[in-house]
Amino acid sequence: MRTPHMVIVAVALVTLAIPVAAHHSFAAFDQSRQVTIKGEVTEFQWTNPHAWLQVKVKAANGEDQEWSFEMISPSVLRRMGWTKASVKPGDTVTVVANPARDGKYAGLMLSVTDAAGRAIGGPAQ
Amino acid sequence: MRSTHAFVLCALGAVLSVSVPVSSQIAQAPAVKRSAPQPARLPDGKPNWTGFWDLPNGFLEAYRGPAGISGPSRGGGEGRGAVNVPLAQRPTRVPEMKSPYKERYEALLKQAAAGTLPDPGALCLPQGMPGMMGAIYGMEILQTPKIIAISSEFKAGTRRIWMDEKTHPAADELEETFVGHSIGRWEGDVLVVDTVGIRADVGLGGRPPLPHSSKMRIIERFRQTAPGMLVDEITFDDSEAYVASWTETRSYRYRADLKLQEFVCLENNRNVDERGVATFK
Repeated sequence: MRTPHMVIVAVALVTLAIPVAAHHSFAAFDQSRQVTIKGEVTEFQWTNPHAWLQVKVKAANGEDQEWSFEMISPSVLRRMGWTKASVKPGDTVTVVANPARDGKYAGLMLSVTDAAGRAIGGPAQ
Repeated sequence: MRSTHAFVLCALGAVLSVSVPVSSQIAQAPAVKRSAPQPARLPDGKPNWTGFWDLPNGFLEAYRGPAGISGPSRGGGEGRGAVNVPLAQRPTRVPEMKSPYKERYEALLKQAAAGTLPDPGALCLPQGMPGMMGAIYGMEILQTPKIIAISSEFKAGTRRIWMDEKTHPAADELEETFVGHSIGRWEGDVLVVDTVGIRADVGLGGRPPLPHSSKMRIIERFRQTAPGMLVDEITFDDSEAYVASWTETRSYRYRADLKLQEFVCLENNRNVDERGVATFK
């Protein structure tokens, strides 16, 4: 065998692994930063390949902002305790997310809590 | 050059890509519940692998972010964000390639480093073989005497292993497809699967994807290593593109408590541009 054992391990990881647990890169989000956004849900898109939570926010300067938070797929979210009814328009939520690099009102969702401060969803089963 | 230890950790981080709780309010995952043991045999005596399988240390188990996205890796800081690090910057090595594949791959590495690498997967094209055997959202195996079908939940890809065919179609009749043409046979309790005819534009995985020629042959040996544990030993043989063949393994865990769910990638692929790059409108 000409190839060292450790190289084979590395190759195995490179070849079979999907390099991200979603269907596209998350490079558009700055994963070194987090933002916390509190607002009112306007829409919960329970769709593949990703679910999206739309949140209306009143900024400090009075501006109305609509934020888009990207989540994983409904099939995986279901295994984490989510349902299509976990959030609904009008709910007050607080979202922690990695913000979009381009400054648009978008983020990669890390966690979300309801008006009472309870976490929505949970770990994968 | 980093130490071997660091490099393996980093590579693992890239694969697991994932997550510990980002909020202290989120409970740790309970132990996996199995509502029924895996049925061991089919009526014809063959091993029975029908059912849903996920990765013992993979996505569903490792993913901890309550909203299902990311968080710091279990393995420390290396894993976080490593999913988006171009391969050129990863301390990993790839099998030695022949010309012109080597040069083409090097060009892709430059594109990856520049952030201009197209991502056909983000356009919802199928994973094909061998990517679908990564089974990041789990996979379903259905066995009949003549066909064994394996479906990946992610991207909803299905491959069929023809158990009643002894040979592949002749070269001029072989259609090149995303999953290729697979014929299988049992060697005792080991399922041996021979696959050819995988489209050359279906990468072997990674970013950028490892290339291969249309002559590539994949030999898989599936075997059960313990109750509810299945291993696929995958050998890649492509003498046109690579100096030597190599073998990888993938392990799966039986999950009686899970079912394959629908995943229609084009349903709402809302933030991906025509190159497959995520953007916001």
